[in-house]
Amino acid sequence: MEKNICQVYEAEIQALEEEIKVLTEKYEEIQQEYTSFSDEEILKSIKLFQREILGENKGYKSPSNLIFQLENLETDLLFLMKFTGFQFTSHSKKTLERTGNRTVQKNRLSGKCHSLSFQLEFQLTKMQENVSSVITDLKIMMESEEGSDVSKFVSRAEECRSLLKFFRSISSYAEWHEHRRNTFLHFK
Amino acid sequence: GVLAYLEMLETQAHQEAVEQEKREQQKEKLAMLKARVRKLRLQRDKLREKVDLQEKQQPGKEGVVPDPAHPIAPRDVVEWRIRNLQALLQLFYLTGISGKPTRRGVCFSLSTAYEGTYLDSYHLELCTNPQVQILRHSIPVFIPLEQISKKYLQTDIRRFLSLLSDHLNAYAGRRHQAEQLEEHFSDQIEGALQRNSLYNLLIFNYNIPRNAQTFPFQARLLYGDPCCSLPTEVTVSCTPDAPASLVETAASHSEMFRCVALHKAFQS
Repeated sequence: MEKNICQVYEAEIQALEEEIKVLTEKYEEIQQEYTSFSDEEILKSIKLFQREILGENKGYKSPSNLIFQLENLETDLLFLMKFTGFQFTSHSKKTLERTGNRTVQKNRLSGKCHSLSFQLEFQLTKMQENVSSVITDLKIMMESEEGSDVSKFVSRAEECRSLLKFFRSISSYAEWHEHRRNTFLHFK
Repeated sequence: GVLAYLEMLETQAHQEAVEQEKREQQKEKLAMLKARVRKLRLQRDKLREKVDLQEKQQPGKEGVVPDPAHPIAPRDVVEWRIRNLQALLQLFYLTGISGKPTRRGVCFSLSTAYEGTYLDSYHLELCTNPQVQILRHSIPVFIPLEQISKKYLQTDIRRFLSLLSDHLNAYAGRRHQAEQLEEHFSDQIEGALQRNSLYNLLIFNYNIPRNAQTFPFQARLLYGDPCCSLPTEVTVSCTPDAPASLVETAASHSEMFRCVALHKAFQS
């Protein structure tokens, strides 16, 4: 009889822990999506936070893990942007569906590659087990002339949902475009 | 006699003590579980409130309006920025070329995809001093890494990575088509596909109506361009005693395989 009560409690504990996990993720995701801080606010917060930590540790110079993590991430991102030419100016994602191993997220992304700007909307389905992602539904918005190379690879990419191919194409095209522009300016 | 009786009483007492201890442990455990349930319920309820409040606020395009009564703690801003950066870095994975500076140089990740499906990713660790060198990599041996390195690694890293990405993506695409064919149309294929590691030569016997007894068509697909996932040369042949209609069909299939992805060709 008591064993049963134990089992009931244990089952409830498991259910609650799961619910808490889902609620926390949901809260953080909405918080992430709808909040936005300017660069100055971020810098100010970093300074305030560092002062807080120093105050807490009463002068012991233990570096904050969070600040360390933040600085590493900023360096990594800066490197990638410089190396690839891709700059993402805004990004938002919203979870549409989360069942078992499957998560479906709607993403909105705007950015540019060198001087070419683009805006994307796509749905990304992630399966936890095979660590694979599938793009379903891709929309690309780019300024281009009808019939131009750009409009061609944009429509082809949208048709096949080839997000990766789009990025690779735009990268080559932008670099070629940049190179051509530089050569032209050089001879002016 | 008496001794036996005393022994029996002793064992009885011992057993009772053991049972008593068990009951007390059980009570303790139950009490602990009950307390934990209560604590979790409280936590869950608080979270539910927070999420409900969020939903009621329904922030507009400008985002969450800062509430002067509840200023956002610096720590929360820092954590927000961390999550924001992590998401942006993950996006680079979708672009096909991603990387991270390391102590000795850079570690690059090349991702592959076939249309909308992302497939395997491959890694290269490069050191940049004194020259650019590949320290470690997970590129399969049948991809001409050395050839591409010789040409571009020292002079134009971006080109090097771009070309490598093309080779890898084409290979991944060909493999994906073959795997999809085997997975979804195995009843139309005799046995298994014969192929090489690079998946640029495929040979198989097949038939069009499903579950047929014989496989009169033999297809041979050669993918001459290593950066392309469509074949450059296709031969579909029939058994020598096949009727003319079949031979005609074979010719049209041949054309189709050259323009349409393998698994999609079988779908139609």
